[in-house]
Amino acid sequence: MEYQKYIEGRKAVITCKNVCKEFDIRDRKQAGSFRVIDDLSLSIYENEFVVLFGPGECGKTSAINILSGLDRPTAGSVFQGDTQITRPGIERGVVYQSIALFPWLTVMGNVEFGPKARGIDRTQSRKRAQELINLVGLQGFENAFPISLSGGMRQRVGIARAYANDPEVLFMDEPFGALDAQTRYMMEEEILRIYEHEKRTVVFVTNNIEEAVFLADRIILLKSCPTSVKQEYIIDLERPRSYTAPRFLEIRQKITRDMDKAL
Amino acid sequence: MGNKTVNLIGKNSMRIVLTLLPIIGFLILWQLAAMFTSIGNLMPGPIQVIESLFISFAKPLGPHTIQMHALYSLKRVMVGYGSAVVTGIIFGVSLGLSKMFRALFRPLFELIRPIPTVAWIPISILWFGVDEMSKYFIVFYGAFANVALSVYMGIQRVDPVLVGAAKMLGCSERQLTFKVVLPSCIPYIFSGMQVALSAGIMSVVVAEMINSYEGIGWNIHAGQQTANMTQVLTGMVALAIFGLLMAAILRQVERRMCAWNTRNT
Repeated sequence: MEYQKYIEGRKAVITCKNVCKEFDIRDRKQAGSFRVIDDLSLSIYENEFVVLFGPGECGKTSAINILSGLDRPTAGSVFQGDTQITRPGIERGVVYQSIALFPWLTVMGNVEFGPKARGIDRTQSRKRAQELINLVGLQGFENAFPISLSGGMRQRVGIARAYANDPEVLFMDEPFGALDAQTRYMMEEEILRIYEHEKRTVVFVTNNIEEAVFLADRIILLKSCPTSVKQEYIIDLERPRSYTAPRFLEIRQKITRDMDKAL
Repeated sequence: MGNKTVNLIGKNSMRIVLTLLPIIGFLILWQLAAMFTSIGNLMPGPIQVIESLFISFAKPLGPHTIQMHALYSLKRVMVGYGSAVVTGIIFGVSLGLSKMFRALFRPLFELIRPIPTVAWIPISILWFGVDEMSKYFIVFYGAFANVALSVYMGIQRVDPVLVGAAKMLGCSERQLTFKVVLPSCIPYIFSGMQVALSAGIMSVVVAEMINSYEGIGWNIHAGQQTANMTQVLTGMVALAIFGLLMAAILRQVERRMCAWNTRNT
């Protein structure tokens, strides 16, 4: 009921239909396949902040690779609007857990990478890149190389880089997973500020329940491997949220219980 | 703050002491051995060698002064090593990027590579004569495989996540090679170039010892022929300085070109 009301009037941006993913295992003794995703179906709506939440190693990264088009599903299909996603494309941006900046490029070089590769007019792409660098709070660091930045600052660059192509959807694959707890809390607030400023659809993957409830408009709980959708939750808490508010703790507890059952 | 500065100076001078201590200790031990034991009958002490090195800047050893010998060796290294770096990078990149090229040339490369540089000297003289060309070839051979292999390894180790990120950002296959694969190989290219430089200097000495009338390697050979251990050791010390300088220059070049790869704060 709540879900019906939530999606009313919203346009589906990403539709994932019955996706399965198997990896071939080549062993000395046997050849076989390992199923990571088993019949995953979900929809992502325009400008919502969706968190894919599931236990570690449950196939979340495989799911993101397929949704973003970097990897093909073994069965099933993924659509962005009416177009099937079959390969990587600039309509979708990705922020990585390993951050994956180009170490030989400066902050500006990294942010400009996409627009430059596409051959966008230089002055225009430079202006937009500067805007994004300012947005993520890195003005003054344009000419710094990633190696001289802290983990949190690097991921800010990663976020700006993903925004630079103005994608319709942003996939964030445990983007703060490699950061320490303090930086993580700060980055969670930062990502919401950036999200409010540059409204895009965000698909955020995490295995941290606190992070999930803090950020999400909607949480999709995934089963452990082979994964599929276990349950969905609409999180209608006002932002900014408090980690210790009774409602917050209540939701958190409920999802944790459901996840334990899912395991 | 002040405390920290003092600490830093303390650390720096400590490092200098730690660097110099074994070197000076070694030189003193050598000098004492030359003065007071039978080793002195066979070879000179460091003072005599260093003296001879300084004298040889003005007074020729054989046909040339030591700096002219060094220039001969330098020219051979530059030509042989330079061409090995250029062709080694091209060969390594081709090995890494083209399956066809790899299938064709990897086996041949692996077959030739184990043959030591010195074993090529007779053939190189047969092919290129006793002139400079045969020395260039020997240096080239000594350096080439090191460059080619490390570039090849660099291409194989390109981070797949970076490649994926570039594709997501709209990079075409062709752009991928020039914007991601090759830049991420640069540290490997430099580490190959460092190893190849040592190999190239080693090769030039071998070539000069066997087939030459000048160069630092010739000094060592000529000293051996005339039982002049001072000349042998002078040549060895000159080589140490020569190699050290070349490696330091290359490191500086790397630091300039690879600022992103060294902590630079």
